[in-house]
Amino acid sequence: MSDFHDYTLSTADWRKTLRQNTFRTYVVIGLFCLIYCSIGMLVDMYMVSTSYPSASIQQLFHALITFKIFPLATFVMLVIALVSLMVSYAFYDKLMLLGTEYHEINPATVQNTAEQQLYNTVEEMKIAAGLRYMPKVFIIDADYMNAFASGYSEKSAMVAITRGLMAKLNRDELQAVMAHELSHIRHLDIKLTLTATLLANLSIMVLDMLFYNAMFSSKRRDSESRSGNSLAAIIMILRFLLPVISILLLLYLSRTREFMADAGSVELMRNNQPLASALMKISDDHQQHRDQYSAAYQQTPHENIRRDAYIFDPIEAGIEARTSINDIFSTHPSLDARLAALGIKRR
Amino acid sequence: MSLILLLVILAIIGFIILTYNRLIAQIEAVRNNQKQIDIQLDRRFKVFESLINVVKKYMDYEKSTLKDVVALRNQAQQAKDSGNDAARMAAENKISTIASGLNVVFEQYPDLKANQNALQLQEEIVSTENKLAYAKQSFNDSVEIYNANKKSFPANVVVGAFPAKLNFDFPYWQLSEENIAEKESYTVQL
Repeated sequence: MSDFHDYTLSTADWRKTLRQNTFRTYVVIGLFCLIYCSIGMLVDMYMVSTSYPSASIQQLFHALITFKIFPLATFVMLVIALVSLMVSYAFYDKLMLLGTEYHEINPATVQNTAEQQLYNTVEEMKIAAGLRYMPKVFIIDADYMNAFASGYSEKSAMVAITRGLMAKLNRDELQAVMAHELSHIRHLDIKLTLTATLLANLSIMVLDMLFYNAMFSSKRRDSESRSGNSLAAIIMILRFLLPVISILLLLYLSRTREFMADAGSVELMRNNQPLASALMKISDDHQQHRDQYSAAYQQTPHENIRRDAYIFDPIEAGIEARTSINDIFSTHPSLDARLAALGIKRR
Repeated sequence: MSLILLLVILAIIGFIILTYNRLIAQIEAVRNNQKQIDIQLDRRFKVFESLINVVKKYMDYEKSTLKDVVALRNQAQQAKDSGNDAARMAAENKISTIASGLNVVFEQYPDLKANQNALQLQEEIVSTENKLAYAKQSFNDSVEIYNANKKSFPANVVVGAFPAKLNFDFPYWQLSEENIAEKESYTVQL
């Protein structure tokens, strides 16, 4: 048990945390849909601006939104989004364990009491959560302490945990971590995050195509239509702004969902201390073995696909993952923020 | 005007259908969770029954082995005292065959080692009790969700319209007053 002597303990209001963050999620997902549709409208306006050279932007927008002109591009983009979402739902589960050494455990294959205990804690949390299906349980052969969940529905759900985490946590802490992971499954976080990521990437792709199109045919268009110039300007600004906005929104969403999973863990266990002490242990452990774990994380291929899903983001401990723009920010709230949300504040 | 009226009516009907279905789902969830408590009680009974049998058998085995070993040790001691070396050797040899036999058993079933066994037993008992407790918690949670939904406005209007189908009074799982007082004053007696 990690000691809490530097902290003041109180109880966590998990109902409030869940309520607040559910609202935040609606806002973020709404924003993503709005952005996606706006980009579609932009493409539509750009396309029809040549047919109605004398119309202003407002007139074009009004005509499209009231279906006087059918917003074909928006419609096509929505169909593309739906199809690609369905395709990724079908294949994504297989990706999550990519690159790790893992094995599945179930009551028939458990080798020792520790594995039995892990399976039992998951089963207990499954009962507390009222899930209908038992998630698959995987152990990853790695020394660092981490765990993640995946799955689009209760049926295809899985949780995975590293050997390091199993060895260093006591039963209650292990259970709290598993409750956090099961909460991700219960809240359908994996589906949500992937939907948002896909919408963000698609909007950026479409905007890119629109941008190059506008660049290379700008001379011809500008002279032809009234709205062409201002449309080109909007496209130009958005092309540089949208990726930043998308990343910030995705990070905000991911942090919101982490807070919710933490609250969900308290909801299932009715006790905030096991999760808090598990988080502190994991964080301390990452600080202590920073170099060793940094090497381990980097040697594991495809580590970036699991980053969002982990209970603890290695970036928090100063372990840099791959080279990518969103490594500057952590996908998880800071340890202190998470503890504060659990009702445990540093003195 | 009539179009707006039609839309409003359609929206109200849609709301009633959604509320009705949601309440039905919540009622069935409460019922299922109630049965889950029974399932866990049943499981606890069966698991503990079989655990006791296993432990008994194992203990009998250990006890009889121990008795054999003690008896042989006494024979060996007596033989040594009386100077009968052949009898002593025979007794000692028998002990080592028992010991090696035990070792073989242990090697075949490494989990049989006593402390491992105790750990397993402890884990099984803890987990079984936890499952029962979490089943009760889950039942109470579903009762909470159903009650909150049933009593809140405007869902309570829909409940009022179909009281036979939608209005149930599920008591929370709880202990009786005497039982609470008894458990509250309980301390471990070692």
